[in-house]
Amino acid sequence: MPNTKRYLTTGGVGFAVGTFFLWNYPNLGLGAALLGGLVIAALCLLYSAPLPDMIKAGLIAGMFGAVMTIVYGTHKPGVAIIAGMLSGLGAGLLAFQRSPQANPKKAAILGAEAGAIAGAWTGLALFVMAFVIAPAAGISAGDFAEHLSETVILADTLGLGSDILILLFAFGFSTLTGALLGAAACAARSLPLRPNIPLLAVIALPVLLIPLIDRAGNLLLLDALIPIYIFILLALGLNIVVGYAGLLDLGYAAFFAIGAYTTAMLSSPHLGINLSFWLVIWVAAAVAAIAGLTLGAPTLPLRGDYLAIVTLGFGEIVPILFRSLGGGPPGGTLTLRFFGMPIGIEQVDLTGGNKGINPISPPHLPLIGDFEPSNKIPWYYLLIVIMGLAIFFINRLRDSRQGRAWMAMREDELAADAMGINVVRTKLLAFSMGAMFSGFGGAFYGAFIGAIFPSSFDFSVSIILLCMVILGGLGNMTGVIVGGLLIQGADKMFIPKGAELFRRIAETKARAEDTSTVGVSALQDLTQQRLLLFGIVLVVMMLVRPEGLLPNERRKAELHPDDDTINSNSVAAEAEADPSLAA
Amino acid sequence: MAPLLQARGITKRFGGLTAVSDVSFEIEKGSIVGLIGPNGAGKTTFFNMITGLYTPSDGDMIFNGQRINGTKPSEVTKLGIGRTFQNIRLFAHMTALENVLVGQHCRMHTGLLGTLFRTPSMRAEEKAARQKAFALLEYVGLGRNSADEMAKNLPYGDQRRLEVARALATDPKLLLLDEPTAGMNPKETDALTELIYRVRDERDLTVLLIEHDMKVVMGISERVTVLDRGIKISEGLPREVQTDPKVVEAYLGTGHAAKGKGGGAPVFDKA
Repeated sequence: MPNTKRYLTTGGVGFAVGTFFLWNYPNLGLGAALLGGLVIAALCLLYSAPLPDMIKAGLIAGMFGAVMTIVYGTHKPGVAIIAGMLSGLGAGLLAFQRSPQANPKKAAILGAEAGAIAGAWTGLALFVMAFVIAPAAGISAGDFAEHLSETVILADTLGLGSDILILLFAFGFSTLTGALLGAAACAARSLPLRPNIPLLAVIALPVLLIPLIDRAGNLLLLDALIPIYIFILLALGLNIVVGYAGLLDLGYAAFFAIGAYTTAMLSSPHLGINLSFWLVIWVAAAVAAIAGLTLGAPTLPLRGDYLAIVTLGFGEIVPILFRSLGGGPPGGTLTLRFFGMPIGIEQVDLTGGNKGINPISPPHLPLIGDFEPSNKIPWYYLLIVIMGLAIFFINRLRDSRQGRAWMAMREDELAADAMGINVVRTKLLAFSMGAMFSGFGGAFYGAFIGAIFPSSFDFSVSIILLCMVILGGLGNMTGVIVGGLLIQGADKMFIPKGAELFRRIAETKARAEDTSTVGVSALQDLTQQRLLLFGIVLVVMMLVRPEGLLPNERRKAELHPDDDTINSNSVAAEAEADPSLAA
Repeated sequence: MAPLLQARGITKRFGGLTAVSDVSFEIEKGSIVGLIGPNGAGKTTFFNMITGLYTPSDGDMIFNGQRINGTKPSEVTKLGIGRTFQNIRLFAHMTALENVLVGQHCRMHTGLLGTLFRTPSMRAEEKAARQKAFALLEYVGLGRNSADEMAKNLPYGDQRRLEVARALATDPKLLLLDEPTAGMNPKETDALTELIYRVRDERDLTVLLIEHDMKVVMGISERVTVLDRGIKISEGLPREVQTDPKVVEAYLGTGHAAKGKGGGAPVFDKA
């Protein structure tokens, strides 16, 4: 029985987690047992083979929704609704991917079932939250429901008085929206249209609506989402270099830094050059692309480990360069010796050294005016536009002569050379294209944060980006986006919020026991452990699924776009008619 | 008529080892020429000098009237020399169709901007390339179903065929086949032999093949060149080469040479 080991492992982990909770937080015992039991049951179900795909999909996506609900619950219970929607959407798409249905109606039913399961999970987590975890963190179930009703506008209108009713309503709402979106996603994918467009619509809709939901529910999600998106944009660029062209780049953050510093120097009072963001972003991308060529040229003969070392060095040098370009007191001179002749150079503070460049001018649009740091919505949409364009153009690059050359080079450089591919040009193009997209990312980052420091671009940025690409699946854009959402979501949303939740629980407990709140458990401060967590995740991934979450699937659909369908008869006929092809 | 490929006194030294020594030979346009020799005779080294992977230490390699010593492999391919590899070197994680499309790379012209903005000329080129790729797959006997199959998942014989299709996609004038039937069963070998003939006759190609399988070489080649320890020891029609005592000696050692003179060497019986 091959599953026995898995059951035992899962059970063991569940037991350990449960024991930890019961031992540390007895007042959490019931909820922990309930939730732990559910998670373990779900994992066991997932591992046992004969389960229908839609249930598996619902469970996978639902767990995401549940985690999001629990982590965010004490702050903003309304997140549960969004989590239910998103997980329903994810469940629908997953269910479809696993068992595609040609018939839109059947597909919709499949998606609805998967979405409902995912939504119900989220709703369930809401109950656990209201009655177990929120009280443990010092919030009564009644308060929790009240918070929730602030988000769910309809709850007030409908006059739902009691806590239970509000919770039930929220439960139903997340289940229903999950099911609807899941059904829509599935049905849209199975329509006999060009496959990309309905799918795109289904994904784009929630992405575009998030700021409005965020504002309506006052959820403050955008603060976390924008940096996450920036990192995803960078990971997409890195994916060109590592995923498509197979060139391991450990210093990718350097290009991000170059993009950001170009923007900062050209669009701030620091050097007195204050150009418009709309111009500077292109300059930044171009400068980054040229930097890509500069790195690419000397590393051309290097492969694998050797290339990785050189790029690593490059990634270290660039922030140091920016740090030292700001050196010296104003008006000081730097003396160089050239064949013994001292040459004094007036020192110019180009980059502000360790203090960085601050402030950087925000973009300006006629109707909106300057983009304000307090209002994240224009920033969000600007970033969506940049990302949309990046995804669009990277897609085109991949499905082209250039993209095929990258992949051929990745597969077998010698054979690619022998097939007439100019390896030098192909490598340089990969480096410069990859760098260009991070130049866009850097420009946006600089303008958005409004201040940049050399320390924002250190080695860990390159590594996290690489983790995102590897976790998601090398060479697959969807995978990279999912990997980015997971890692960055964990880094910027779940771990900080989770840590805060732990802290509140510990404080409440300490208050109840009338002991000091200091020095409870190291685990409270999960943020300190984030790199450890990433490390564990990567090691586990490499052991269990080295190809990433969504590996580069067979690209059948992409090779048969409907606009220029090459159906078998027509080509055969053409081949017969055209003697140069057939004979 | 000038020969398509002409090697003049080609020598390749790796440090103190001379892998190929002063080899001269010619390939007439439209012919099928076999290059044979025992293991380590320098066949593949010679091949690699034609395709630009190695630069000859001495001598001239002239293709179509142009000296190609030291030309980069990709440039050589562009000039019109396509090749397959001894141990299959397909792009394993790309589909059969993509493999053939990569072969057409050097005949396509779309630049970066054309790709990014998907200009009409790029679309047209891409469409034509795709049609040609499908036609080539069919030509070498790979069905439409194989087109979307990952190269690594194809059966062995089909991988060999795909390599030929990929090489043909570069629009070669001269096709170099490095042991095309290695590891194939007799049925697959016959089918591939037939394909090589068809390629030559229908596509107006010249073929140079390295082969260990004597039956294949003798059956298919119009002329055969024999290398041994880097030196050309014999050249001529298959029948002549077969009975050349130097060849028999090279393959079977001196002891057999005497016997070979009498009744023909046993290895060649089936030829």
